[in-house]
Amino acid sequence: MTRRISKYKRFVMMNPTIQFFKFIYLSIKVLVIVAGGHGGTRNA
Amino acid sequence: MAKIVILGAGIAGHVAASHLRRKLPKEHEVVVVSPNSNYQWIPSNIWVGIGRMKPKDILFPLAPLYAKKHIDFKQAKAVSFHPEGDQQEAKPYVVAEYVAGNEKGTTEKVTYDYLINATGPKLNFEATEGLSPGKNKAHSVCTYIHADEAWNALSDLIQQMKQGKKAKILIGTGHAKSTCQGAAFEYILNVEQELRRHKVRDMAKITWISNEYHLGDFGMDGMLLSYGSNIMKSSEMVGMVFEDRGISWILGAGVHKVEDGLAHYENLEGEQKQESFDFAMLIPSFSGHGFKAYDKMGNDITDRLFRGFMIVDADYTPKPYEEWSVQDWPETYQNPSYPNIFAPGIAFAPPHSISKPRKSKNGTDITPAPPRTGMPSGITAKLVADNIIEMIKHSDNELHHKGSMGNMGAACIASAGFGMTKGSGISITTFPIVPDFKKYPDTHGRKLGKTFGAIGLAGHWLKLALHYAFLYKAKMKPFWWLIPE
Ligand SMILES: Cc1cc2nc3c(=O)[nH]c(=O)nc-3n(C[C@H](O)[C@H](O)[C@H](O)COP(=O)(O)OP(=O)(O)OC[C@H]3O[C@@H](n4cnc5c(N)ncnc54)[C@H](O)[C@@H]3O)c2cc1C
Repeated sequence: MTRRISKYKRFVMMNPTIQFFKFIYLSIKVLVIVAGGHGGTRNA
Repeated sequence: MAKIVILGAGIAGHVAASHLRRKLPKEHEVVVVSPNSNYQWIPSNIWVGIGRMKPKDILFPLAPLYAKKHIDFKQAKAVSFHPEGDQQEAKPYVVAEYVAGNEKGTTEKVTYDYLINATGPKLNFEATEGLSPGKNKAHSVCTYIHADEAWNALSDLIQQMKQGKKAKILIGTGHAKSTCQGAAFEYILNVEQELRRHKVRDMAKITWISNEYHLGDFGMDGMLLSYGSNIMKSSEMVGMVFEDRGISWILGAGVHKVEDGLAHYENLEGEQKQESFDFAMLIPSFSGHGFKAYDKMGNDITDRLFRGFMIVDADYTPKPYEEWSVQDWPETYQNPSYPNIFAPGIAFAPPHSISKPRKSKNGTDITPAPPRTGMPSGITAKLVADNIIEMIKHSDNELHHKGSMGNMGAACIASAGFGMTKGSGISITTFPIVPDFKKYPDTHGRKLGKTFGAIGLAGHWLKLALHYAFLYKAKMKPFWWLIPE
């Protein structure tokens, strides 16, 4: 195993409080991308 | 009065059936023909495969829901297509064979005005010699039954490791042209985390084997992602995670034979190699179901409906990778020969792969097939339903709802380990799914910002939230339609 993720990064990735806000952010971001719509490409 | 027949009750078929039923007056008939009695939320099979969920947590029976919602359900499998009817039957129909109940084994001509083929893929284990779920120590997580079997075998191995056995675990693709690398990627990370949880991680060598040329290709030609304030290739992100988790990898591998604890593969150098294992999970190739089609006179017209999967409004002209464009990809999923037949989800024949095609020095094609994940399957099914509704309500044969994978985003929340405090997920979104190199020439065909990656506990919560939200939606509970595909 080679440490590729620093201790600080790992702390951020696994800290429930920080991740709670990240969860809200990700949910909104995913929703925006999905609800952002779709369409054709041929007459664009 | 119109009759819409939907073949398949997976993500695409069920989305189409539920929207059609909600939006069409009751005088129109919605009929679902599917061999499985249950709806399964396939993405959570990963957690069944590590024993953290039971099959009952990810499925529910379809018959009671459909009875309540006035959707006619036939537990049967489509066998042949007759889009012009025949000498006796004027209406188009499919022949369906019942697979359960008193009618088991009997066939019925199911007539239709509109047909939605949402039969997804055939899990083509036979294409790889010796690959069969639960045989030769190789497993699958493609269905909840397979995933449950995989967990039984893995938990046995964990017990042996606790007694001191050193084990080799191999996870990835089981064919030179497999797709669904994302599911295998999730599974390898979940297995790795479970071994740590059971305190046997140091007893196992875990290896990723894949037909991808680069890590993180995922059958989508890889991605350039925004990652925090950086820009990163998906290959770098996956490489970082694998190294951090002590997972080694074999790339460009076309597995063609599996023997007891041994996978034989050819690599792009044309070398024949083997990799041994005590437990493997290898995704088979996906193929069409081998349906036959006949015209009114009984002549075989299979090639007007199928090229493996169903022919739709794609540009199937063979051309080199350099000439591929997003315009090759379908927009309406309508069959050009029979405009009342549609194929959303995995059931449609893609024009070509998304990843750059590569051949081994022996000429073997080792290229991931293009994935059609849950989100595009749901979106394409909904737009097909909306077009049919307009055709019925306004007798309008122009299709207004369009959704090319070259103009559609997708989110892939890959579980990287289960647990409310110890879990992890790799959240990746892409826009568009099929890269548009003309529109986004400097960012590998995709829009940065809408194509991003994030790693952490929040990803696990999101994946779990999606599990509950999509099962809620599939059960058609109050306001289910507010949850997007
Ligand atoms: C292990 C795993 C994990 C995954 N994880 C994710 C994920 O995290 N996110 C994501 O977006 N996607 C994920 N996917 C992909 C996702 O599951 C598929 O994109 C999706 O299921 C495709 O939907 P579909 O309706 O086209 O096909 P399916 O869901 O396969 O449905 C096909 C339906 O057709 C029925 N059928 C088969 N043969 C016949 C016949 N002859 N007649 C009538 N009916 C028939 C089947 O019983 C089934 O009901 C995952 C896939 C796997 C295997």
